Amino acid sequence: MINDQAIGYITSNYSSREQSALTEARPLASIPFMGRYRLIDFPLSNMMNAGIKTVGLVMPGNCRSIIDHVGSGKDWTLDRKKDGLFLVPGNAYGTSKRGMRFLLRDIIANDELFRRSSKPYVVMMGSNIIFNLELDDIIEAHRTSGAGITMIYTIAERSQPDAQALVIGDRGRVREVRSGCEFGECKFMGAIVIDRELLLSIIEDYAMADYLDLFEAIRGDFERIDVCSYEFKGLVMGIFDQETYYARSMDLLRPETYDRLFQPDRPIITKAHDAPPAKYAAGSNVRDSLISAGCVVKGTVRGSILSRGVVVESGAKVLNSIVMQSCVIGSGATVEHAILDKNNLVPENSELRGTHDHTLVIGKAPLRR
Amino acid sequence: MSRKECIAMLLAGGQGSRLGALTQKIAKPAVSFGGKFRIIDFALSNCANSGIDTVGVLTQYRPYLLHSYIGSGEGWDLDARDGGVSILPPYATQDGGAWYAGTADAITQNLDYIKSYDPDYVLILSGDHLYRMDYRKMLDAHIAHGAELTVSVMPVSWEEASRFGILTTDDDDRIVKFTEKPEVPDSNLASMGIYIFSTAALVEALEADAIDQRSSHDFGNDIIPKMLEEGRRLYTYEFTGFWKDVGTIASFHETSMDLLGEHPDFDLFDKSFPVLSNITMRPPHYIGPDARVSDCLISNGCRIYGTVRHSIISTDAVVHERAVVEDSVLLPGSEVKAGAHVRRAILGENAVVEEGVKLGSVDATRDTAVVGNDVVIGKGE
Repeated sequence: MINDQAIGYITSNYSSREQSALTEARPLASIPFMGRYRLIDFPLSNMMNAGIKTVGLVMPGNCRSIIDHVGSGKDWTLDRKKDGLFLVPGNAYGTSKRGMRFLLRDIIANDELFRRSSKPYVVMMGSNIIFNLELDDIIEAHRTSGAGITMIYTIAERSQPDAQALVIGDRGRVREVRSGCEFGECKFMGAIVIDRELLLSIIEDYAMADYLDLFEAIRGDFERIDVCSYEFKGLVMGIFDQETYYARSMDLLRPETYDRLFQPDRPIITKAHDAPPAKYAAGSNVRDSLISAGCVVKGTVRGSILSRGVVVESGAKVLNSIVMQSCVIGSGATVEHAILDKNNLVPENSELRGTHDHTLVIGKAPLRR
Repeated sequence: MSRKECIAMLLAGGQGSRLGALTQKIAKPAVSFGGKFRIIDFALSNCANSGIDTVGVLTQYRPYLLHSYIGSGEGWDLDARDGGVSILPPYATQDGGAWYAGTADAITQNLDYIKSYDPDYVLILSGDHLYRMDYRKMLDAHIAHGAELTVSVMPVSWEEASRFGILTTDDDDRIVKFTEKPEVPDSNLASMGIYIFSTAALVEALEADAIDQRSSHDFGNDIIPKMLEEGRRLYTYEFTGFWKDVGTIASFHETSMDLLGEHPDFDLFDKSFPVLSNITMRPPHYIGPDARVSDCLISNGCRIYGTVRHSIISTDAVVHERAVVEDSVLLPGSEVKAGAHVRRAILGENAVVEEGVKLGSVDATRDTAVVGNDVVIGKGE
């Protein structure tokens, strides 16, 4: 459980290639997910559960929602006197190039984080591929392997052009990192363990190529740098655009999938809120849905995910949809195959419908008075 | 330490024996209530919402869960550098140690804590009622009256009055008589067990009480009658909101049910005076494909596959396929297995009702069934 050998580095300053109303208001890393979480909760919780006490979080330009969410890091016990959470600057626009997560320029700009530490390893994670992994075991496996870098991968359950595939040779050594990933290939999870000293020497050796991603920079040196791999057998969900966001959210409506992500011994932690339990009126009709605290449901909800404080008035229907915090679905209104971002008010008897193939997305509305 | 105008002392040491199986291993204020809360949340939230930032919590009976739950007080924004929550269990001195012998004795033993803040006023609370109260208003009344002690009172029906400590007042709200459970009441103002003392009067009364051999060291039995006898300035503060006991199985059940309905008497959703708590971080709850839920409160982490009617389902509780839960309270982590039927019952934390078991009765004249924490109810039990 406790692994005192590593510090963490999380990047939240890269975006989706696709335009979406969901990422107009915020970076990909702070998209609300599964009712009460934000994507950034997953890397933070993974690190916390492995006993990591120092985390550098690389911020995007539009960082308001992330700062609001993580605060001092208290919820992840990162509000430490010694060590703790460091919000560090990153390239304002990060990158929206496929697969890129660890821009060398950001690593170099924040080298103090790595120089000040005395821990032997650095765990680096992005924030849009989510999982709940045995990170303490992985750090230990990295140590015993003697490799300089361990790249964490999973066997791809689907083809994904936005993901990267690892080509793995003898003794689990990574030969190549390829853009795009087919079914059954080794999908890189955007998570690595690297020797801190090696990282410092990469910072020096590749300073001229600082516009590249860490793995683009070192790809030609995979013989010299010993890069190992670790197969994670749990659930991995990549969120690359609104299509994958919707699909992966809906996957979690299956309890067996949900159980793979939320495990009692490795809790996923998020910002604490004081909402009361959800309230169901007499005559409400809810099935096959995930409902958050503070919701008031009088109408019908099927195959949907409701965030904190959503109100579904009587006679309203929410079907196969994701409804974010503080939305109100007026009585008699229907929302189907849609993603409603925060604070939206759906007028009485109105209809918001997407289709099975094309999810309707409504951006964040201003705060209601 | 900086001076405080008013600090609160919260009496949380009682066993709560009338809650039976629910308090076998934990103190009453730590008992889960309202889905995601614990009983002490209501008093602590009232403090936070009233702007009282220094609270001493007096604990004694099985305090571990209570202590860990209160923690640094951050759940109620009471983790202040200057003040905040202090947990005050009985302690030893060079003369030995003693348990808290009564409500007044518990405060007497912690006079040093009170004096360290040098407050003008001390608010004394107990943690076994469900209510929302702005103590600031009570303090304003106390100051306006120039009182030495103000007792918060609630008008009750005349029939019920003989169950309470009854205060008789003059036209100016000054207390002229205090009668514990009078057979023939001459007033219907019941003491709520909430007191504001001017500090000097409190210290004087407690120091005198401490050396009184005949005293039972209780505010209601000893301190208030003595101060009245001495002609002190004792006033009432009338509270007319919702205030209900959760200290017995019957009242715990009834008050829980009061949280339900479209316009409940106690609305957990009132954001102007929120109920704060130390949160267990769990994912949203899942309502299964064949579930039916109606007129209920359901907390994070729950799984509902069966039918739930008019009930409160606390954090991480599970209701399996074909199970029916009605008019009941499921405390955190409890589980109703497939086909079981639970009516008018309270299931303790992590209690389990096995497959097909029928528990409780819908007959409101019968007692509420209670299953203790961690107890498994199988067939034939």
